[in-house]
Amino acid sequence: MKRSLITILLIFALTIAVQGIFNIGFAGEDEEDADYPTELIVFTQPVKAVVFDHKYHIEEAGMDCDSCHDDTFEQAAGTAEENGDFTMKSLYEGKYCGACHDGDSAFASNTKCAVCHIGVIGYNKMHNIEGGEGGGHH
Amino acid sequence: MKIDDLEKLKNEGPDTLPSKERRKFLKWGLAVTGVFAGGAVLSLTSAKNVQGALEGIKLKKYPYKPHYCMIIRQDRCVDCEKCKEACVKTNNVPEYGYRTTILEREIPIGPDEKQREFMPVLCNHCNHPPCVRVCPTRATYKDEKTGIVMMDYKKCIGCKTCMAACPYNARYFNEEKRAIDKCNFCFDTRLSKGEKLTACAAACPADVRIFGDLSDPESRVYKLIHEPDRVVWVLRPETGAMPNVYYTKG
Repeated sequence: MKRSLITILLIFALTIAVQGIFNIGFAGEDEEDADYPTELIVFTQPVKAVVFDHKYHIEEAGMDCDSCHDDTFEQAAGTAEENGDFTMKSLYEGKYCGACHDGDSAFASNTKCAVCHIGVIGYNKMHNIEGGEGGGHH
Repeated sequence: MKIDDLEKLKNEGPDTLPSKERRKFLKWGLAVTGVFAGGAVLSLTSAKNVQGALEGIKLKKYPYKPHYCMIIRQDRCVDCEKCKEACVKTNNVPEYGYRTTILEREIPIGPDEKQREFMPVLCNHCNHPPCVRVCPTRATYKDEKTGIVMMDYKKCIGCKTCMAACPYNARYFNEEKRAIDKCNFCFDTRLSKGEKLTACAAACPADVRIFGDLSDPESRVYKLIHEPDRVVWVLRPETGAMPNVYYTKG
């Protein structure tokens, strides 16, 4: 009886300990602690819609804030879209995303279109809007 | 069916199908129409075979003048849907239907790696249109001059048989017109008024939709389709409908 009680207590203690280690080990990657916006940036001008993921560019591509801010992109969201020259043509000239997406540092802006372009379908999915693919009638 | 197997098949055309086969085809058409995922509607044919897909014989010339067709440079589409907006505005398309739309799928490009791909679809203005064959009132017909599959709304009784027969899900019932409505390459709204492009082609910012006269060797469509090394394909060639909307990449 006593022995089984000790066993249960032991397991209990062990569980808590493991959990603690787990938490410490992964605290660095906790999204709430990230020093960059964790939500996707969605551009809707001049076409709907293009996504930018801060997380991917920092964690996977090894960039930091200085890489783009405030030189290539203003920190305030939406500034690029208001500038009026946030176009594919500008990108090909090395502005905005084109600063890296030139086929050298990252895949060229005139390739792999649908990696960044999620379209109206993608935008609607993101915002739970029905009818992204038009109403098929039978 | 595999592409290799398909290419070996002799194209019998839709006219000679026995009624049992035809019924099977219709049933099948109903089951897979509009399903894009998994490649059910996509079959490949090389540029060499385009003429084969078109007429099954060596063509001396294209059957219509102008022979309107559209080439879709698929990998350039970003689903901005400016084509849809332009179509809706130009042709007064209601919210519940479409004359053209964009499909989406993810294609595997590596182990555990996928890439998004968009595909514009519309009426294929087939040389042997299954919709025309099944229409009991001849409300839908193939224009003898241009090859455009047109609608005579007054003759349409709304039986929707053409909708079931269409391999491309390109028709919808327009409640205001009390008739089936579909893409007519903007014939009434633009081409007959002297415009050279359909509304969708004119609105596309990425130059995805190339529209023109396939019988004119100087046209962009003719040049693109006849580039020797370019891979061009059509959707569902196995139906024998001989579509006039071609797909390519690059």
